Parts: sequence; C-alpha cells; structure tokens
Amino acid sequence: MGPLTSKRVFSVVALCMMVGLLLLPVVVALPSLANGEEVSAGDAAKKDGEKVEKGRDVYYKTEGIVVGAPAPVTTDGPKDYPRYNFESRVLLWFANQQHLYYGSFVLAVPIFCMIIEFMGVVTKDKALAKRYDQLAYDFIKISLTAYSLTAILGGILIFTFLTLYPAFFSYLSGIFRPVMHIYALMFVAESGTLYIYYYGWDKMREGFLKWIHLSMSVILNIIGTLLMFLANSWIGFMMSPAGVDEQGRYLGNIWHVIHTALWNPLNLHRILGNMAFGGGVVAAYAAYKFLAAKTDEDRAHYDWMGYIAMALGVAFLIPLPFAGYWLMREVYAYRQQMGITLMGGLLAWLFIIQATMIGILFLSTNYYLWQAMGRMRGAEKYQRYIKYLVFLLASGFIVFITPHTMVMTPAELKAMGGQQHPVLGNYGVMSAKNGGINVIITTTVLSFVWYMRGNKVSTVSWAKFGNIFMGVFFFFAYINIIFLAIYGYYIPANVRVGLSVPQVATTLSCLFFMFALNSFMMKGAKQMGAIEWGKISARSQYALIMLATAFTWMMGLMGYIRSSVRLFWHVNEIMRDNSPWAYTHTVGFAANMISFNVLFFWITILFVFWLGSLAAKKVPVEAKAGIPGSVPQPATSH
Amino acid sequence: MSVLNNPVVAVIVSVIITVGYFVFVDHYLMDMQGLDFWYMFRN
Repeated sequence: MGPLTSKRVFSVVALCMMVGLLLLPVVVALPSLANGEEVSAGDAAKKDGEKVEKGRDVYYKTEGIVVGAPAPVTTDGPKDYPRYNFESRVLLWFANQQHLYYGSFVLAVPIFCMIIEFMGVVTKDKALAKRYDQLAYDFIKISLTAYSLTAILGGILIFTFLTLYPAFFSYLSGIFRPVMHIYALMFVAESGTLYIYYYGWDKMREGFLKWIHLSMSVILNIIGTLLMFLANSWIGFMMSPAGVDEQGRYLGNIWHVIHTALWNPLNLHRILGNMAFGGGVVAAYAAYKFLAAKTDEDRAHYDWMGYIAMALGVAFLIPLPFAGYWLMREVYAYRQQMGITLMGGLLAWLFIIQATMIGILFLSTNYYLWQAMGRMRGAEKYQRYIKYLVFLLASGFIVFITPHTMVMTPAELKAMGGQQHPVLGNYGVMSAKNGGINVIITTTVLSFVWYMRGNKVSTVSWAKFGNIFMGVFFFFAYINIIFLAIYGYYIPANVRVGLSVPQVATTLSCLFFMFALNSFMMKGAKQMGAIEWGKISARSQYALIMLATAFTWMMGLMGYIRSSVRLFWHVNEIMRDNSPWAYTHTVGFAANMISFNVLFFWITILFVFWLGSLAAKKVPVEAKAGIPGSVPQPATSH
Repeated sequence: MSVLNNPVVAVIVSVIITVGYFVFVDHYLMDMQGLDFWYMFRN
C-alpha cells in the first residue's frame, strides 16, 4: 500500500469514526427515547403492585405516569443555599457568563472554518483557494486554545451550581437525567472530532482527502450544534417548563421536557447570536494584529481576515433581530405577563440599552464598510452619498432607542403633564421601533451593495435598467417600511401587530433580491482598480474592535434579561427561588456586572490569542506569498 | 433591452414592478395571518 493510499484509508477511517462518535449518543439514547421511562416505571410499579400515579403535563396537557420526585421546596438556609459571604447569584452569573462566552466562540468558529474551507475548495483560483485555506486554519487555531478553556469553565460552572445551589441543581439534573449521558458523550465526540480535524489539516490538504477533511468539519459542527441545542433545552425548561406536572414531577417523556415552548426560538436566536459574536471576536483579533503589524504584508493579511470575519458575523447579525422578534412573540404566546415584564415592565429599560447596543453594532458595521471603500479605486463615487445613509441610520437609531416613558422627578412629571413626552413618547411604541430597526438594516444592506460594487462597473447590456431598478427598489422599500410604521398608529393593536411581518419581508427582500441582482450585474464587470488590502484607515480597525465589544456586552445583557425574567422562580411556576437573592437587580448594578464580565472575557481571550501566537510558526501552507500582499492584486473576490 | 435602458422607461417599469411587489407583500403577508391590511381604508 502506497503512502497516498494509506493516507486515504486513514482519512476515511477517521471520518467513519467521527460519524460513529456522532451516532453513538443517539444509539445509546435510543431505548430511553423510544420507550421513555414511562413504560419502565409503569412496569416496575405494576410488578410491585403499587398504584400507578398519573400527572398532567403543565404545557402539553397530556397525561403521564409520574416517575420523578416533585420540585423541592427550598428554604433560606445553608442546606439549600450554602453561602460564602458573597452573593451566590453573582458568582453563578459570572461562571455562567464566562462559560457561555467561550462556548459561543468555540461553537461559532468551526462553522466559519467550514464555510471558508468550502470556499477554498470550490474556488477555481489556486492562490485564492490557498488563502482561504490558510484563513480557515488560522481560525481553528484560535478556537483550539479557547476550547480547553471552555471545558475548564464548564467544570467550574458545574461546581458552582453544586456548591451554591445544590437543591436546584439536583432537581434539574434529575429531570434531564435521561439525556445527561448524551450531553457528556456529545462533548467527548466534539473534542475528538475537533482534534482530528485540526491535526489532520496538513495531511489532508489536497484532492479527495480535502473533501474528507471538509466532511469532518460538517460532522464537527453538527455535534457542536446538537450540544448547544441540548444546553438550550435546560434554559428553555427553566423559562417555560414542560414534561412535568404542576408539582414539577417528571412524567416520563423526555422529548416534552426538551421541546418546550421556547426551545426552538432560543435555538435559532442562539445559533445566529453565536455566529455574529464569533465573527466579531475574530474580526477584533484581526484588527488588533493589523494595528500591531510591522510589515505591509501582515497588514494586508489581517485586513483581509478582519473583513471576512466581519462579513460573516454581520451576515448572521442581520437576521438576528428577526429571530429575537420570534422569540419575544413566543414568550408573549407562552405567558403574556412574561412578555410584559420584559418589554413593558420591570426589564423594559434594559431593552432600551439593548436597542442602543444594536444600533451601535449596525453603525459600526456601516462605518467600517464606508472606510473599507477607501481601499478600492472607483468607490469614491459613493462617498458623497454616504451622508444620506448617515441621516437614515441616525433617524432610525434615534427612533429605535426612544423610551416609551421617562424616569422623572415629581416636578418634571408635573411640568411634562405625564410620564409620556407629548411628542417623543409616540416613538416609544413597537410600531415606530420596527420602522426604525428596519430602516437601519436596509441601510446596512445598501452599504454592503455599494461596497461589493465599489471598484466595479457592470458590463451587462441591461446595466442602466439594473441600476435604476435597484435604486427604485430601495427607495420604495424605505417608503413601505416607514408607511407601515405610520399606518400602525391608525389601526387597532390586534391588526397592527401583524404589520411587522411585511416590514421584515421588505427588509429581507432588499437583502436577497438586491444581493442577487447585484451579483448578476457584477458578473464579468470591468474593474476600476484592485482592492488594496492593508490600505485602510486605523479608524476602521477600531470600528471592528467596537463591533466585537458591543457584541460581547449585548450578549451579557440579553443573557441577564432572559434569565431575570423568571423573577423569583428557579423553574418558572414550578420551583421557587427562596434564596435571599431572588430579586431583580438595579439597572446600574446589572450594567456594572455585565461590564465586568465583558472585561474579564476580553482579558482572558487576549491571553488565548497570545498563546495561539506562540505556535504561529507552524503553518500548513508552505508559502505565505499567497496571502494578499501590499502589492495590489486583482480583486477577484471580496 | 435597449428600450429598458431608456431612463424614463426604466423608472416607469421599475416603479410599477416595485410598488406592485410591495403592495402584494403587504396584503398577502397580512392575509396569511388572518388580518386585513386594508382595515383603515375599509372603515
């Protein structure tokens, strides 16, 4: 057997092993998933001659045999809530948040690797293919050290739960016992697959082996995503429990416990959020390396890396508000009061902060794109129109962050004649806010379209019509979004609530149709000049760092909002939190805590980056000449 | 195709297509939710 054949055999065996690792937890879980504990518990009860007790599912309203203990009624004391002269909730908050940051990062980056590696495999330009491959390798290298830290933080989190909230953790792990081992096996499968994927990179660089390697990344990401879905089922259960009766007794159907009312919206929201966050962190890494680079070659490489990471991150950021909207809609459908607490009650001010952060994310993205247009000849023609985009963004942003009511002193309240400002108060309702965010996103799409055609002139015979059509389409998209926002004031609430769907569809139409039309128009386009990678202002790189910091902060904020909406419940309406910390913190305290978590994450991730740089000399691609250098290269791709 | 490249024709055709499309989107997506997009105009 020649060396190539043995390599092939080894690769196929490794791939089969990964598939086996992926399927192993499913095979192990099949008996319990197929029968549930319901049957075995029922059989056991019958054998013992005991009376079978039945309970009613609090969410699905189905009957099931009670197989679990009721949720413990805790008391404020060292038995249920041991304490260490510090607020236990804050310690848990910290451990949870850090684990989530790293978990999100290591789940998102392999998905990026898969996309970039695939782009490298399918691209016909050999030099570009090599660049993509190197970039994907750089990405996975960063995530590898972070992966170990994620596991360590996961361990710390479990110990924190066990030490500080033993009664609650014991109940939760009891409920999820049928799938706990699947989670553990998935984790083992994820680790094994990741290491084979990373260390096999160099050996599986060409041809058939490269496809095997790419298939490994698909399996790696399936495992990672399933792992996240399982973890999401715990928080879904805590917010909107199912599969248990009103005393919290498990009814034997684990699928009901997993598939709660909020599980799928959470899954979608988290996967998009993780991707946007991962893109932001990698973009910030590239920005830092760009700013610290000594040579033009390095600057060119990190400029390109930052752009790709930002573009991928923003691609997932754009649908994120819509996924958030779906989540909120499901929250309202599950418990209206929960939705009111979030958006119109106790936590409403946190949503104003969230709106500000979302606005900052989009403003930073647009600013970066406008700066990035400076590195291509021919894009100057768009510069004079940027001020109009700034106007649209600023208008959308101001409406989006306007609160419905103000916090005021009695004197101010009297002077204004009520809590609601006579003019600005009108912008504090969902109708206006939906209009604001859709204007912001549509403008971001427009900035992207301009960036993509920056140095190109279309040569298709219908170019003039295409350009006019594009302009008219965007114009009427804005008109439609703003019209729907205003129309909402004139119709009853039950009709108004539906207007958000055509508003979103308008924005998405711009995204999909205009991107597609632009791609058709730019096929074989005349190039005005090459993209000069590395020739970009330092300000743009700070915008990338801003983007990543805003992502991190917003993730911390949203995690806090989602968690604190349970108020004084460990498991909503099932298990009460009787610890002395079962109250909602002030906005100021929460903001400080989130900032501390963000700071801690960035300090530790810098350490991770530094560790990664120690192994920088070991690269799989021999020549670095392939990376986009300071010498302008033909911009075959963005 | 050369007719379409005439700016006046291009604008007219684009406006017709775009306005028609957005009206369709508004009406259809509200209808799908069992809601009446033309509520204000009917009342």
